[in-house]
Amino acid sequence: MKQGAGMEASAERLKRRQIPPGCIALAVLLIVLMIIPFVLKERPYYVHIFITIFLWSYLATAWGLVGQSGQLSFGHAAFMGVAAYTTGVLFGQFGINPWLGMWVGVILATIGGLIIGYPSLRLRGVYFALATFAFAFILQMFVRNTLYLGPVYIGAGAFLSIPQVSGGNAPGVFQFASKTPYYFIALVMLAGVVSLSYLLNRSRLGYYWRAMRSDPDAAESLGINVGKYRLITFLVSCALTGLGGAFFMQYFRFINPVRALDVTQSIRIALIGIVGGWQSVFGPMIGGFIITPIAELLRLHLGRVPALSPIIYGMVLMVFILYMPRGLNGPVLRGVRWIEAKLRRPAESGKHKPRR
Amino acid sequence: MAILEVRKVTKRFGGLVALRDLDVRVDEGEILGLIGPNGAGKTTLFNIVVGYYKPDGGQVVFQDHDITGLKPYDVCLRGIGRTFQTTKPFLDSSVLENVVIGGFIRAHGTAEARRIALDTLDMLELSERAESLASELTVPDRKRLEMARALATGAQLLLLDEPMAGLTPSEKAHTVDLLRKVSGDGITLVIVEHDMKVVMTLCPRVILMDRGQKLVEGTPQEVSSDPRAITAYLGEEYGA
Repeated sequence: MKQGAGMEASAERLKRRQIPPGCIALAVLLIVLMIIPFVLKERPYYVHIFITIFLWSYLATAWGLVGQSGQLSFGHAAFMGVAAYTTGVLFGQFGINPWLGMWVGVILATIGGLIIGYPSLRLRGVYFALATFAFAFILQMFVRNTLYLGPVYIGAGAFLSIPQVSGGNAPGVFQFASKTPYYFIALVMLAGVVSLSYLLNRSRLGYYWRAMRSDPDAAESLGINVGKYRLITFLVSCALTGLGGAFFMQYFRFINPVRALDVTQSIRIALIGIVGGWQSVFGPMIGGFIITPIAELLRLHLGRVPALSPIIYGMVLMVFILYMPRGLNGPVLRGVRWIEAKLRRPAESGKHKPRR
Repeated sequence: MAILEVRKVTKRFGGLVALRDLDVRVDEGEILGLIGPNGAGKTTLFNIVVGYYKPDGGQVVFQDHDITGLKPYDVCLRGIGRTFQTTKPFLDSSVLENVVIGGFIRAHGTAEARRIALDTLDMLELSERAESLASELTVPDRKRLEMARALATGAQLLLLDEPMAGLTPSEKAHTVDLLRKVSGDGITLVIVEHDMKVVMTLCPRVILMDRGQKLVEGTPQEVSSDPRAITAYLGEEYGA
């Protein structure tokens, strides 16, 4: 009896905490994802779709750290763009190896985060979101209207590309002939950022996140320096987003302000996070796996209708904020747990069947 | 010996003077009752002590250190805990997690914070609800949760803003017992309370505030028989 109550309690806790749906589901997912590039070897387009799913899931998860601390950013494309431009420019114009240059990009993205994050420390809710939005907008305007920044050519609105080495087959400078290496790099990045988010969520910082987003005043009354921990979280998120931007540059090899810095990209990151569940560990990844393929289908079939995808993004965002502010995270995890329970105890579920 | 001294504190909100040259002394280990009509400045005083507001003049001294103008998290680190008039539990977290967050400030790791939290919950008789979500708690339990959270920080002085509001008589009696227990552990308590019966039984010393100033100070008997207290706050029935 007592044990039963204990199990019930732990099941309750499982439901409440952002504990992963369990090893089975994650292991199965990981194995499937490891096999996919070999199964789809002759269909690089599908491998490409998966790479974009990983990339956007990665970016949304990194963005979601800020969400977990109780703030919303609508300017994350800025940090992606800064690192993408840095990596590309350093290689294309200064010959600095992207494996090295990407870390410079990460550092500059973090400095960008500091520039916007520090003065916005005291801003809460929508004001912080507006500040990030404005920052990204200003940065994009600046890049769009700047041909040379000192000795550095950034091309104003034009495309900036990185030179191919050995026909694109040069792992030493982050260039690969096939899509498979990019696939695995993106997969490792995604697994890494989700693991990090999970571990942070369970650490002291994770407790502080829940306190700060629930009630910042009460959090401060318990000795939590809300501004400081929000800034730390924001900088970690910016750095990770920068890393994603560097990958973006190396994978696509072309960049311009619209692709890397535009408001629609910021909104896309936020949309994926919000649809998935912006205050959860796994939500943004779930959002990425759902939204990215849909976005790709939209682009393929309705790409000729101008400005359609921003309109659809905006509508989806509104629907979720109004009717499902916690996103798909909860329902998806519940579903996964239900399936897992069925798999774990087939005998028991069999017992229940005759009653139906 | 004074644990907290508020010296000549003034606070204005626009044209309204919420506190005017207020002096309040809290002795170590005592239970001080703070009474007065709504708008007298009781909560404003709390907010100034914990650093939520900056005073326009005056000084707040805690354990012989000037803490005027420190940020709330710093004030908490110095050893002052507070509860809110309208409770502010972290609704998405369990009762235990709420208190663990308070424990972190003096713990080296999650395990230690947990131990502190469990001890505190035990003291406030909330252990049974440890795994419940804070949002599932009743009003009296929420009030106790806030006390537990503040105590877990290791606070030496606890500022309680209407801990009895909305409680039934038996719940009030229970809270009085709990507060006596907390006080028995050497924690100094300042309590804003409207229920005079509670104040009479719990607080050896009472300060009556009115319009941002101290009107009467003394034992509950002295205060309740003071004509100024009767006109400003208590009403005629107390004069009898």
